[in-house]
Amino acid sequence: MGFIWVLISDDVKILIIEDERSLSDAIVEYLDGEGHLCEVVYTFQDSVEKIELYQYDCMVVDINLPDGSGLDLIRLMKKKSIQGGIIIVSARNSLDNRIEGLEIGADHYLTKPFHLAELNAHLKSIHRRINFQGSNELILNEIKLIPEEHRAFVQDQELVLTKKEYELLLFFISNKNKIITKAGLAEHLWGDHMDSADSYDFIYTHIKNLRRELLKKGCNDYIRTIYGLGYKFDVT
Amino acid sequence: MRLLTKTTLNLLSISLFIYLFGVIAFYYSLRIQVDSNINREMIKRKTSLTRQMEEAHSSANQTTSRSEMVLIKPVPKAQTSDRFKDTLIYDREEQRYQLFRQMDFAETVNSQAYEIQIFKSLEETDVLIVRIITTMTVLVILLIVTLLVVNRYSSRLVWSVFYDTIGKINRYDLNTHQDFMLLDSDVREFADLNRVLKIMTERIKDDYLNLKEYTENASHEIQTPLAIINSKLELLLQSGDMNEKQYKALADAYEASIRLSKYNSTLILLARIENKQFPESVKVSPEAIFNDLLENLDDLILDKKIEVVKHYMPDVTIQMNPFLAEMLIVNLVKNAVRHNVKGGKLIVGVEKNCLQVSNTGPELPADENLLFRRFFKSSSSPESLGLGLSIVQKICSLYGFEVSYKFEEGLHRLRVDFKNEG
Repeated sequence: MGFIWVLISDDVKILIIEDERSLSDAIVEYLDGEGHLCEVVYTFQDSVEKIELYQYDCMVVDINLPDGSGLDLIRLMKKKSIQGGIIIVSARNSLDNRIEGLEIGADHYLTKPFHLAELNAHLKSIHRRINFQGSNELILNEIKLIPEEHRAFVQDQELVLTKKEYELLLFFISNKNKIITKAGLAEHLWGDHMDSADSYDFIYTHIKNLRRELLKKGCNDYIRTIYGLGYKFDVT
Repeated sequence: MRLLTKTTLNLLSISLFIYLFGVIAFYYSLRIQVDSNINREMIKRKTSLTRQMEEAHSSANQTTSRSEMVLIKPVPKAQTSDRFKDTLIYDREEQRYQLFRQMDFAETVNSQAYEIQIFKSLEETDVLIVRIITTMTVLVILLIVTLLVVNRYSSRLVWSVFYDTIGKINRYDLNTHQDFMLLDSDVREFADLNRVLKIMTERIKDDYLNLKEYTENASHEIQTPLAIINSKLELLLQSGDMNEKQYKALADAYEASIRLSKYNSTLILLARIENKQFPESVKVSPEAIFNDLLENLDDLILDKKIEVVKHYMPDVTIQMNPFLAEMLIVNLVKNAVRHNVKGGKLIVGVEKNCLQVSNTGPELPADENLLFRRFFKSSSSPESLGLGLSIVQKICSLYGFEVSYKFEEGLHRLRVDFKNEG
């Protein structure tokens, strides 16, 4: 598959190192068609071979591998100056693990279970940062985002957005055409402190404001509500 | 009552009881002996008196001394039997009654029958008996007291191992991971007790640690299947060819699975706090944590139109783990926001030695002691995990902070007192 990546250099090449096959399958399936090209390995040994042979934009690393620690893998990559973003996924939500992971050079630490939309958004942001050194523009039809400056435009008219509304828009665009659950949204925007015990009504307020602002600037109405389940930024 | 006191009291009461009976029995046996002695003397006296009377040919031989009186009275007919009894005779000189032993008998001397009464004073023997009893009493009391003291002292020595063991059991805490060190004893019973206790605590500790490890491992293992469920459900959501009913079912499953993983990670957190896996300790500023958190929860607070009041005493710090400090405050505040009413009030306060978080809300229908129990839920928010205040309590007990709840003037107030202010 490595050859294909050379041909389609525009795509993001991702290595998923996760021994739990069902989970890695789900990740691949979600990321497919997102402009990502995914390859999966299940063991420490296989992943060492892969990273030495090929170049990846991003790696999703599970800490607990059957034959080694994902943290050691990251250390190895850093030692060999292997480029690429790293996202750790771990079943252990321990602060020490998190700090250690980030200290040795991971970009993000996701605790299982995580929302696929969240993983996707992180991959996109890593990709933007690495490939364009963050100075890129993110363009989707009439919408243009400058992530570095946290600014958004519709047909060159700047949108007046709060920080949360901007984040929301970025998250939508990262996961365009996907249904994003309220829980996933809440966790992305407000972190761990929000949970289903609190009503998600406040999310609706932000969505409403964002949609109003987008429409005001002449943008199509892309935001769909899906049966009280979540939202979809539908650009199809 | 302590064992020592109990045995001492038992010993004391039983020996006093026995002694009382002993004294009474002793007194009567002495009396009987003395009486029989006097009786014998009186019988001798009777013989000598009879002889005297025969020799003197006289019937009017009556003698009187302080200790003895003899009354001789001629009677028509003599009765043969001797009779003894105690009697009181008035002493004119001393103006009081004195106890005498009296012997009545009849004798025929020179064919004249006489009734003769001999009185012998019991005053002296009485005094003697009293003295003997008194001496005895003093001796016995001394003996009992000595016995008690010696018994107490030696018991204390012997039981010291036992009390040491009791004290250690009392202070023993499975969570402290301390070894259970017991004193050696040369008393077999205590040595046995300590040996059995040691084996027992070792076994309990092993079981407990195993169980804890098992729980923690199980919780971690559960996270991965949960991650699979969540991601598969999320994928399924994207498939797009579903009707509303199917979406609804999927959404419910997804929601439940997320809740399950929250439960799980919270339980892991509780286990980790119990296992003291947060050793790092720094000075943290509760004010900063409150401010960050309130900003983070801003949307939730605005949504409920809650008025936030802050009272911060400047420069208050707590010496504790930064993560746990955050968890403590997060759970206090989230609890206060969640159980608040629309348009209610949220008051957070930082004082020199305490934190306070108050919120408006209806009075608790249940016992307030249940508040800190795991999985305690109020009917107003059935969705909540019911673990927030358990975390608060666990963190507090880890650091020896005191957490209290009060409801007054329509405000639920949770207060954390910390003693080791930084």
